[in-house]
Amino acid sequence: MLEIRDLRTSYGKIAALKGVALDIKDGGLTCLLGPNGAGKTTLIWTLAAILKAQSGSIRMDGEELIGAKPHQIVSKGIVTVPENRLVFPEMSVTDNLFAGAFSRRADKIAVAQDLEEVLQRFPRLRERANQDAGTLSGGEQQMLAVARALMARPKILLLDEPSTGLAPIIVEEIFEIIGALRDEGRTIFLVEQNANMALEYADDFYLLEQGLVTFGGKPGDVDHDELIQRAYLGTRKAS
Amino acid sequence: MDVYTITVLANIALFSFLAISAWLLLLVGEISFGQQAYFAIGAYTGGVSTAVLQLPFGIALLMAIAAGGLFAGLVAIPAMRLSGLHFSIASLAFAELVRSVLNVFQYQRWVDGYLTGPDGVNGFRDIRWIYDAGIDPGTYFLMILGCLSVVMLGVVMASYGRGMTIVRSVGENRRLAAAQGMNATRVRIITASVAGAIAALGGTLYAHMATYIEPAQFGLMIGVHSLAYGLIGGMGTVFGPLLGVLIDIGALETLRIFSGYRMIFFGGLVALVLIMRPRGILDEATVAKVQRWLRG
Amino acid sequence: MVDFIQNTLDGIALGSAYALLALGFTLIFGVMGRLNIAYGPCIMIGVFAGAGVYSDLTQSIVMIFVATLAGTILASAYVERVSFAAIRADAALASMVSTFAVWMQLEEIVAHLFPARTYAFKELGHLSLIEAGPFFLRQESLFMLLVTLAVLLGLALVLGRSHFGLELRALTDSRRAAIISGINVRRIIFLTFLLAAMIGGVAGFMIAMSDGQVTPKFGLWATMKGLVAMVIGGLASLRGAVLGGMLLGIIEAQAQWYFGASVREILVYAILFAALILLPRGILGGPHTVWRS
Repeated sequence: MLEIRDLRTSYGKIAALKGVALDIKDGGLTCLLGPNGAGKTTLIWTLAAILKAQSGSIRMDGEELIGAKPHQIVSKGIVTVPENRLVFPEMSVTDNLFAGAFSRRADKIAVAQDLEEVLQRFPRLRERANQDAGTLSGGEQQMLAVARALMARPKILLLDEPSTGLAPIIVEEIFEIIGALRDEGRTIFLVEQNANMALEYADDFYLLEQGLVTFGGKPGDVDHDELIQRAYLGTRKAS
Repeated sequence: MDVYTITVLANIALFSFLAISAWLLLLVGEISFGQQAYFAIGAYTGGVSTAVLQLPFGIALLMAIAAGGLFAGLVAIPAMRLSGLHFSIASLAFAELVRSVLNVFQYQRWVDGYLTGPDGVNGFRDIRWIYDAGIDPGTYFLMILGCLSVVMLGVVMASYGRGMTIVRSVGENRRLAAAQGMNATRVRIITASVAGAIAALGGTLYAHMATYIEPAQFGLMIGVHSLAYGLIGGMGTVFGPLLGVLIDIGALETLRIFSGYRMIFFGGLVALVLIMRPRGILDEATVAKVQRWLRG
Repeated sequence: MVDFIQNTLDGIALGSAYALLALGFTLIFGVMGRLNIAYGPCIMIGVFAGAGVYSDLTQSIVMIFVATLAGTILASAYVERVSFAAIRADAALASMVSTFAVWMQLEEIVAHLFPARTYAFKELGHLSLIEAGPFFLRQESLFMLLVTLAVLLGLALVLGRSHFGLELRALTDSRRAAIISGINVRRIIFLTFLLAAMIGGVAGFMIAMSDGQVTPKFGLWATMKGLVAMVIGGLASLRGAVLGGMLLGIIEAQAQWYFGASVREILVYAILFAALILLPRGILGGPHTVWRS
């Protein structure tokens, strides 16, 4: 389990996270909703240690992660699928997948097995195994980004806006994959603008507004429409 | 003052021209490794004017300034389209190009029974105007100082007017400045041209003091030094590059404890300042603080 | 025509040395987006270490080679610590200026340790020419060519097959994606510096052997040649670096033959200046290899 307490991050003098607290429970999909500019991506980058937290704590099974380097976070099993499908454009799909297993260099046989497993899960990537990743379509690149993260054998998978900029039919496909991963018992933290889709799959959710968690619970607990409105527009306009 | 002291002071003043020249380009956000090219162009133009063409010294200064400004402007027109590393490498390429052209450049005439003028790698000797005119080293140093004061005064005046604000904002963010209606490219080209003219003025003053110049004197390391002066001295004020020159030539070269190890100390100092204070000792924030304090 | 082809043959041999220098620049530029101008001076430290071992200790070619390599690697590690690791990631130009500062230091260190300036280096020995019809190839040219091919083959294996090679390519391709994938960026950068230093050491060793001597001018010479070849070739492209090196060698050999040495120098710098303005991405640079500043 990942416990985040009083987490603060800022860009220069501008505070982006003002004391965020939330839990990511093992073996479930925790979803973070919120309007544009609420600090969702900042939270992901802080968890990945790419942004430095100012204060607060991030504990995984009791171990403090603040102060760790990005590569140490990955080797602890917290793996990010960043926004906008960050792939290695001039490397082949296979090399991209191998790149996902950087943190487990010694384990050659297991990495080869995982590669086979991942290619079975994403047959489209197998067809394009030798193509440069930059030549894939947007949906395929998103699948590659998820597949690359799986190659690291993540304990917690952080997904940042996987639906951004994709056609609705592709979005459905991506969410089916996310749903399947959840059903396998993986721990997933999903940051999403597309609240409707996200709530369909979420076990728990939090609402982030202006750098603070203002609301949380289980999707069945609350009035669906109001939550959706707040997720898109923020509190002020909803009231 | 004895001749040694005067020579050191004159060297400090002459290097200041080069340092201010490189510093001006730093303000528009470009790192030039090639200001020595304009220093060389000024030295050769000035030397040819007085020694070969027998023109008056004042005309020689003007011709050198014009040549430096013109060449720098012409180079800047294509080069300023580049930025960052590209510009730096282009400036380096141009400086080495000038030096290799001077290596084959010959323009000699018989003057008073001597064959005078640039002779490729063999250099250019007998630029004797100050001796023919009977000017002693002390007086010539005052003339150099006068020219330097005019240049610095010009920069300080520009800082109080709109000019320097425009130059600095183009350096801060070229696109933003352009969006506010400034012609960023033109500002950069004019700044480069002025910087070239200042370096050329220094060059011609240097040629007349040394009486002998050769292409090897205008190598890459001179350019890098003058750039480093501005960087360690500070970006905030025109006294920054001057401070840099003082530290290097004034302290390191003259103090005996550093003799023979000057480059190791100076190189280390530059590396250290770049780590600790990326915008130099007298950076903008420090200068602003000092100005507030002066105003009470 | 015979002259032209003969010049081309000579140019390729010289160009293979330039290609190695350009590769060193390109590897470092690829992972960091910054230039190490002190690359040539680092190699200079290496060849002087080799010359020192040769004059004072032993004639053994292996020991001289080891000393050259060790000197280059040591100097490169120093540059990496002072001018790259210690300077903020977004200050690429500060790094470049800092490498110049270190360059001053390296030159003065050599001036103190080797006051006579020019030192003998183990020579390849004057062997016979290889003739084929009207053309000939000097043994030292063949030696340079073979060494370069061996280095290129080794590099291709390291980059294509090893774990480190994959990490290096990933970091060159996308720094952000590499961080996200768990690469220890600082470690890979340091290792890349060492790899570039090894390539530079080999290049320096073979150039010094074919010259039979070393001088402090070697630093500036190696930096300029490597830089020109890299810029012509395509900046962050390894293939471009090799091609740019070969091209530079051929152009130099032709210019030297037809116009003489001084015009050759002028031509090289004119080409560098023109290439920067007309072909800012080089001949093999793709859309992803634009210089990041």
